[in-house]
Amino acid sequence: MRIAHAAWRKASFAAAIALVAALALVAAACGSSSPSPAGSSSGGGSPIKIGFFAPESGFAAADGASAYDSAQLAVKDINAAGGVNGRQLQLVNYDDASDPKQAVTIATRLVTQDKVTAVVSGSYSDQTLAAAPIFQRASIPVLAAYAVNPGIPATGDYIFQQDFNGIVEGRAGAVALISNLAAKKVAIIAIKNDFGTSLVQGFTQEAKALGATIVATDYSQFGEKDFAPILSRDKSKGATGFYMAQYYSEGQQFINGWNTLGFKYPLVGTEGIDSTTQFFEPVGAKADGLVFTTPFNRDSTEPAVQNYIKAYTAAYGHAPDMVGATTYDSFLVLAQAMKPRARHRARSGTGSPPPPTSSESLGPSRSTSLGRSSRPSTYRSSRAGCPTSTLR
Amino acid sequence: MVVSSLINGIVLGSLYALIALGPTLIYGILRILDIANVAGLTLGAYTGLKVFEATHSLLAALVVAMLASAAFGYLLQRFLYRPILGRGPLIPLIASIGVFIAMEEVFRLVFGPYPLDFPATVPLPTVHVGGAVVTGVQLLILIVGIAVLVGTWYSLRRTRLGLLWRATSQDTETASAMGVNTGLVIATIFLIGYALAAISGVLLGINYNTVYPTMGDIPAYKMLAIIVLGGLGNPLGTILAAMLIGLVETFVVAYLGFVLPRDAIAFIVLIVILLVRPQGLLPGESFGS
Repeated sequence: MRIAHAAWRKASFAAAIALVAALALVAAACGSSSPSPAGSSSGGGSPIKIGFFAPESGFAAADGASAYDSAQLAVKDINAAGGVNGRQLQLVNYDDASDPKQAVTIATRLVTQDKVTAVVSGSYSDQTLAAAPIFQRASIPVLAAYAVNPGIPATGDYIFQQDFNGIVEGRAGAVALISNLAAKKVAIIAIKNDFGTSLVQGFTQEAKALGATIVATDYSQFGEKDFAPILSRDKSKGATGFYMAQYYSEGQQFINGWNTLGFKYPLVGTEGIDSTTQFFEPVGAKADGLVFTTPFNRDSTEPAVQNYIKAYTAAYGHAPDMVGATTYDSFLVLAQAMKPRARHRARSGTGSPPPPTSSESLGPSRSTSLGRSSRPSTYRSSRAGCPTSTLR
Repeated sequence: MVVSSLINGIVLGSLYALIALGPTLIYGILRILDIANVAGLTLGAYTGLKVFEATHSLLAALVVAMLASAAFGYLLQRFLYRPILGRGPLIPLIASIGVFIAMEEVFRLVFGPYPLDFPATVPLPTVHVGGAVVTGVQLLILIVGIAVLVGTWYSLRRTRLGLLWRATSQDTETASAMGVNTGLVIATIFLIGYALAAISGVLLGINYNTVYPTMGDIPAYKMLAIIVLGGLGNPLGTILAAMLIGLVETFVVAYLGFVLPRDAIAFIVLIVILLVRPQGLLPGESFGS
């Protein structure tokens, strides 16, 4: 299977086109904070409010901070380049404390009090899934930066997913572990939430199709620290390959347990551990040989990617991770989608069908497949605490 | 797998015993479930980490952590608990929980929300026993655990302080009438209880190579289950309960996988035992028979 490099701005054209239409609708209906009744596409005006929420406190605080930092950087960069249609973007940020109930409160607030034009979710699947119906009912477009549960774009035609979904990623993980790394008997140890379950679903589907046996599927809780017993148990069941669908904290403990037991089996992880400060740095050489699926291709020669990495590192003192990269990307896509359609169509030139010209043709009957990103999977392997080189 | 589960279970149980011992002593003397003791655990972990980063000495880290946490405990009992002691058991409990929650936020604000690593190397070898792997840190936990438990038994049974503790916990007013300086006894028990919490915090931090503001959450309610299971205020009961829970957790995961949230196991054990024996494993204030 040829693995292509992840394409940045080119990847989500389908999503972008649909987003353009949705935002045009919103702007025309005077749903934005612009005082001008014509909703014109040029001229200075009041700022465009973009809602944003991320788990900035609680157990996922590192991801939340990463997402928020990138969101701020993106808004700063977009505004420095002239904003969108001459108007500056204004970030309306909330902390959901890694709690889906909080996300619901925030969504209601963003819709009724802050009256934002669009939203980027810098949060996990659980929170995004909880908030999405509220935005859908209010016809506010939402771009989920890295939440992978496929239920998110299925919520409605205003909800979009920037990252590839969990089923796709799970399947990519299966290909890596079973085809590329030749493991025939696989044990799965996943986190018990909407992220983990969607990954396991995809992985299991593809594993069966590839003819491998799954000897055990176990779901761990947040905060699990002791993986050595479950690893021993899986080994005694004959596992020769392991799929680790965990976040960075549990992933660290997993690698500790793995290391203590001296395991040398093929190990595939997911974007949940794609964190510079929270996984690669503390774990270091212990995770050598770990392969993981992620939408963030650090080796990409696309200027947008390299510029982002440089700008983020300069601003925040450490290299960015997947959560930050997808959040930044989401803002770029949003800004692009808000520009007048004619300009956008000229730039795309991919041969995709022209967007609808009248708002009547847009309706809730549009297929939700448009909401999904067509980004190809990237594999990365970990070496000495750095995510390096793509698997071919 | 039996050997490794046994060893892992005992190590875990020792850790739990260390965490629950301070609150047990405090409950014995004040009848307060001191949840804030776990804030002392986190404080010890952070202090130990920072001192280790500065000096690269695990011993220095432990000592300073114990001092810092003990000071915190002293201030807590002097300015929070003592003034509200007479108000019944509920008010100090609420205050204790409030302090615990507030301290978590203080840690987050001071040290940041990210988990920090505690890469201390323990000068003990990794031992292979019957197919099981015991890391240096786990050995340290066992050694410290045994040392603390023996030390606690000795001081409670053989020293004057132990006698004063037992007297004050049985009947504070009478002890006071007999000339015992109950204020001093309480203060000393808090110093010891919080120093123990600091040791637990440092060991936790090293064992899992992670220190973060909410690291006290799980120990807090697990400690609660262990204390109640042990018989509320009986140090030996606490140790037994801690060992039991450590072993059960490890065996369940080793043989059944992650069928239950690990922390639910502690509470299921608690419920089952309390149904059979409502007073807990070893009720009463005495250490031993």
